Amino acid sequence: MTKKILVIDDDPDLVLAVRMPLESAGYKVFSAGTQAEGLAAVDEVKPDLIILDVMMDTHTAGFQLAQKLHGAGANPAHKAIPILMVTAVHQTTPLRFAPDEDYLPVDAFIDKPINPKALLDLVSSLLQKT
Amino acid sequence: MSTPTHSQLVTFSNERGLRPTLDELCQNTQLLIRLRWAAGLGILSVTAVARFVLDIHLQTAPLMVIGVAVLAYNSLLSFTCRGDTTPRQVERVAWGQIILDWVAMTALVHFTGGITSPALIYFVIHAALAGTVLLPWQARGLAVLATAIVVGIALAERNGMLPHVSIPQFEMSDTLYTNRAYIIGVVFFFGTAIVTLSELVTRIAQRLRQREERIRQLYDARSTFLRVATHELRAPLGAGLSLMHNIQQGYAGEFTPQQGEILDRVTRRLEGLRTLIDDLLTLAASQEVTAAHVPLEPVSVCSVLDKIIEREMPNAERKNIQLTCDKTTDAGVVMAGDIGLGIILGNLLNNAIKYTPEGGKVNVKYRLNRPAQRVEITVSDTGIGIPAEDMPRLFDEFFRASNTKTLPVTGTGIGLSTVRTLLDRYQGHITIESEEGKGTTVQVTLPLAPRQSLGDK
Repeated sequence: MTKKILVIDDDPDLVLAVRMPLESAGYKVFSAGTQAEGLAAVDEVKPDLIILDVMMDTHTAGFQLAQKLHGAGANPAHKAIPILMVTAVHQTTPLRFAPDEDYLPVDAFIDKPINPKALLDLVSSLLQKT
Repeated sequence: MSTPTHSQLVTFSNERGLRPTLDELCQNTQLLIRLRWAAGLGILSVTAVARFVLDIHLQTAPLMVIGVAVLAYNSLLSFTCRGDTTPRQVERVAWGQIILDWVAMTALVHFTGGITSPALIYFVIHAALAGTVLLPWQARGLAVLATAIVVGIALAERNGMLPHVSIPQFEMSDTLYTNRAYIIGVVFFFGTAIVTLSELVTRIAQRLRQREERIRQLYDARSTFLRVATHELRAPLGAGLSLMHNIQQGYAGEFTPQQGEILDRVTRRLEGLRTLIDDLLTLAASQEVTAAHVPLEPVSVCSVLDKIIEREMPNAERKNIQLTCDKTTDAGVVMAGDIGLGIILGNLLNNAIKYTPEGGKVNVKYRLNRPAQRVEITVSDTGIGIPAEDMPRLFDEFFRASNTKTLPVTGTGIGLSTVRTLLDRYQGHITIESEEGKGTTVQVTLPLAPRQSLGDK
């Protein structure tokens, strides 16, 4: 069955950069541009994977959304969907953004600029786990 | 991120003036406490010398009592302003000592002749010192109050309400203290002196505080600007490069070899720009991290090293470089900044990988030098090395060695100067050995945090 991926990012260029490799690999890609749209889309689309940008309309929008989806008290249906977070943190300060059970409930990180091949590898390994 | 201690500053700015900071209050209180030791001992010794050596007729008993009392309350005061006193407590101490001093000085003045006392001058000096911790209106108020006290003593003694204690050698006549003209004269000179001096001192203190505040604001504004600017600069680069990668990796259809070459060139320039921005942010971050008021904390070197190696592994693998790590222990805690240490180690490893061609080797060695009580991290590579003539300038900001410019590596040269700044702050050392064409070895050592028991782990 075709896997569905929801991309939540307010930068349309990044959405395109992510959509191109994913669609060519056979995934069905949906996108949302804000936190609110994203939350609505999760319920509507019921994706198999969510790709979330760390910063959207505000600096912490990505984190907040991740908390809403995976944090304590979140909907179990939401918690089941793996989240891949797209970060803009540059290489010499990664120490704060390791996937950490207590702090940031996402399943994996990928840095900008996106390397399409790396993205596909990461996505397929995340989808295999579920 | 830990909040810097300028959040502890008690700055409160309005027309009434800037309040002294906690640091200022503490420092000035310490100073006053030290001076008070001298004052107390001075009172005792001068009284003794005057009475027994110079044969000046003094009421030694009360004066000795005052001297001892000063020493006594000073030792009580000296137990404050240590470790974790609250701002409230420090302020209370600052005021408390002024009040106690005044009581002592009033008594001293009374027992050395009241209006004819040579010790009146100490009130003026004290007003100057107190002015360093008070707001202008407070200092003025105290100056006026001091003058009032002197007037009070003079009138009380003149009217017999207070017995006059006379020191014959200091009085031209034994009725001098009742002489109206004399009283008015002394009060006038005393009053004008004390008001002028305390005004002067508080104004100087205010100006200093304003300058400090201004500097802090400029620094904060600059930090914010750098952070915001680099983030805004990064976003378009991230998006643009992501799309470029898509074309290059074939997800946007076929392209001609010439188009491919152009894409490569454009990508390389944009990557260079991105590295520059990253380095600028590191520089800004490290300057905050090395700012004097940010406290150091105990950091486990190995845990930072492990994270850095994990992070750089993909970069090494991409170039087919063998990245190895030798360590005999995981122990070793140094006083540093968590982020700063990451910047240092990250920079060294990043450089080693960057300047080593495909198929090369990079080795990281970690050991504890027990006799020297230091941690040693050595990064060696089989890379392009550093030409001998470039070695002295390696730590200059923006310097890149001559043999790197022809290579397709993107390096801005900011890294090592940042590393050195951080190492200075952590009291670490760095040594670099290199042979052009053969490779480079960089060793960083850091002192172990005190009270680190090497027997653990």
